[in-house]
Amino acid sequence: MSSKSFILKALEQTAIAPQPMPEINVAPRVDDLIGQFETNLNTVAGVLHRAGSLDLVQEKVNTLVAEGKQVISLVDGINANRETPEDQHDLKDIDFAVIPGELAVAENGAIWVKQPEGHRVTPFICENLLLVVEADNVVANMHQAVKKLTLDSGKFGAFIAGPSKTADIEQALVVGAHGACSLNVYLV
Amino acid sequence: MSHTASKIHADKAAIFCKDEDRVNWHSKALWLLREKRDRAASSLPEWEQLRQLGSEIKLHTLTNLAKYLEMFEQNCQANGIQVHWAKDAAEHNEIVHGILSHHQVKKLVKSKSMLTEECHMNPYLEERGIEVIDTDLGERIIQLAGQPPSHIVVPAIHLKKEEVGELFHEKIGTEAGASDPTYLTRAARAHLREQFLSADAAMTGVNMAIAEKGAVVVCTNEGNADMGANLPKVQIHSMGMDKMVPNLDSAAVLLRMLARNATGQPVTTYSSFYRGPKAGGEMHVVIVDNGRSNMLKDKILAESLKCIRCGGCMNTCPVYRRSGGHSYNYTIPGPIGIAVGAQKDDTNSIAWACTLCGSCTQVCPTKVPLDKIIHHHRRLKAEAGNLPYGKRSYMPVVGKVMGSAPMLNTSMAMARTALRILPGSLLKPFAGAWGKYRELPVAPKSSFEAWYKKNRS
Ligand code: SF4
Repeated sequence: MSSKSFILKALEQTAIAPQPMPEINVAPRVDDLIGQFETNLNTVAGVLHRAGSLDLVQEKVNTLVAEGKQVISLVDGINANRETPEDQHDLKDIDFAVIPGELAVAENGAIWVKQPEGHRVTPFICENLLLVVEADNVVANMHQAVKKLTLDSGKFGAFIAGPSKTADIEQALVVGAHGACSLNVYLV
Repeated sequence: MSHTASKIHADKAAIFCKDEDRVNWHSKALWLLREKRDRAASSLPEWEQLRQLGSEIKLHTLTNLAKYLEMFEQNCQANGIQVHWAKDAAEHNEIVHGILSHHQVKKLVKSKSMLTEECHMNPYLEERGIEVIDTDLGERIIQLAGQPPSHIVVPAIHLKKEEVGELFHEKIGTEAGASDPTYLTRAARAHLREQFLSADAAMTGVNMAIAEKGAVVVCTNEGNADMGANLPKVQIHSMGMDKMVPNLDSAAVLLRMLARNATGQPVTTYSSFYRGPKAGGEMHVVIVDNGRSNMLKDKILAESLKCIRCGGCMNTCPVYRRSGGHSYNYTIPGPIGIAVGAQKDDTNSIAWACTLCGSCTQVCPTKVPLDKIIHHHRRLKAEAGNLPYGKRSYMPVVGKVMGSAPMLNTSMAMARTALRILPGSLLKPFAGAWGKYRELPVAPKSSFEAWYKKNRS
């Protein structure tokens, strides 16, 4: 017998009584969604810029480039100084990556980032992350977020809430573990 | 610290308790997490509703597990993911080794997975010439120290920063005497970055597996799972089959509670959904039983499979906080460790590493009835004649004395007199393990029975 059949057969003897799937109907908190998002983003060590337009993002990128930083942009209309390399390992010296976010979640400060163009590892390997989200795409909670996000077959997506962090040494919070060391979110 | 020949919980706890400062510090560090959890939970008016939903979603999935596992497999395959089934730890390790040797993998970067600990996978692979690098900072620390994890969320919680500093100095060349957490974390970041960039394959655990989508969800704060899984060609995800949920809506419910209940964060930094391999890569999922289907055959034990491994029950447990994770004779410590490990515990002692205070059950986000399960384990042990050493000899006597009113009254009267007239030092030995860290009680003047007769009857 294959292990699969072995397991499926063993599961025929489950002792707990059948339970129906519950209806998930949680009232969202809808007051001041952007304010809620900002508060929670701060809690997870991210910073919100209520930019209003892509111009401000481009200005930021220009400043960074002028400082000699290595910047890559996956956001249409934002120009930076690095292209997506053939080999993903060549992303290891990227200082800033500008990446679109599909949704922002007010309840916890998370942003849904779809599989980026080029290499999946881009949002994680860069030293610092700039996410650009449309202000209309702030949703109240995770229940609403999963209804709206796209995750196509064969693809990847992630909720990103702040820069990477750890508290594994004596519970002291350190920002910047293996992923990005800072996260700035631009609402446009 | 925890190196002892005895595997009995009380013996190992006694060693941990020798260093009183460390015990107090350990207990406080965990209580801090518990307080953060309380703040996070109470800031959501719908918290209790979420717990109820979490419990019902998990029960529903467990009672339809075969259906969902098959649905999951089919959808995974449609997404280009290869699915493997392992009935036990040995088979899990063989499958993983098979995939790795097929690709001639020399170095595997791994993010935290209690399942691979349960399967003792690291030594298995290392014996076969594969270097395994744990990449979660806490895991890397204990891997360098040659220790097992002592907590499922904060695996190096038992170590002080000075000890980590010393270890890093010796193993990765940080400055001697340095103990600043930021400095040490940065050093680990640089050290591990090299590992990520040179690994041939990555492995992660799974927080949730979504049947309807054929996707797995992996949660970390550090980003190590994603640095791993997204760089090398081969990615492997090992999951206990209890990680199944039906759809995205159920995952959303659990994601709202996981981090809040673990560390008080509103959500983990990264909650990543993998629904297929990267371009030119391979993605494998290994579904593992290893005793889980057996637990499902027992109505009470089955509920322990609702666990989402947030660690909340450990942080609140008065026994865990004061005995340390290494005192449990199992990979997973604390209340949930007893629930899922007591059957395999050959010392028959960990089912008693619990005061049955029920605090764990109160904080659990999916309402795992931990105290009920632990109590049930004691009954199962007793019925099998496997009471731990010590309890075996006196428990039957206690039963007899408690069962007979005259015998109980006489012995209680004797105890009251003894407590009044004999010095504590003479009596303490009779209190056994109970008296080790406790003062003897002040004896009341008369018995409750006498008081009741006079005042109530
Ligand atoms: S039993 Fe409950 S509280 Fe304990 S780790 Fe599991 S989900 Fe968390």
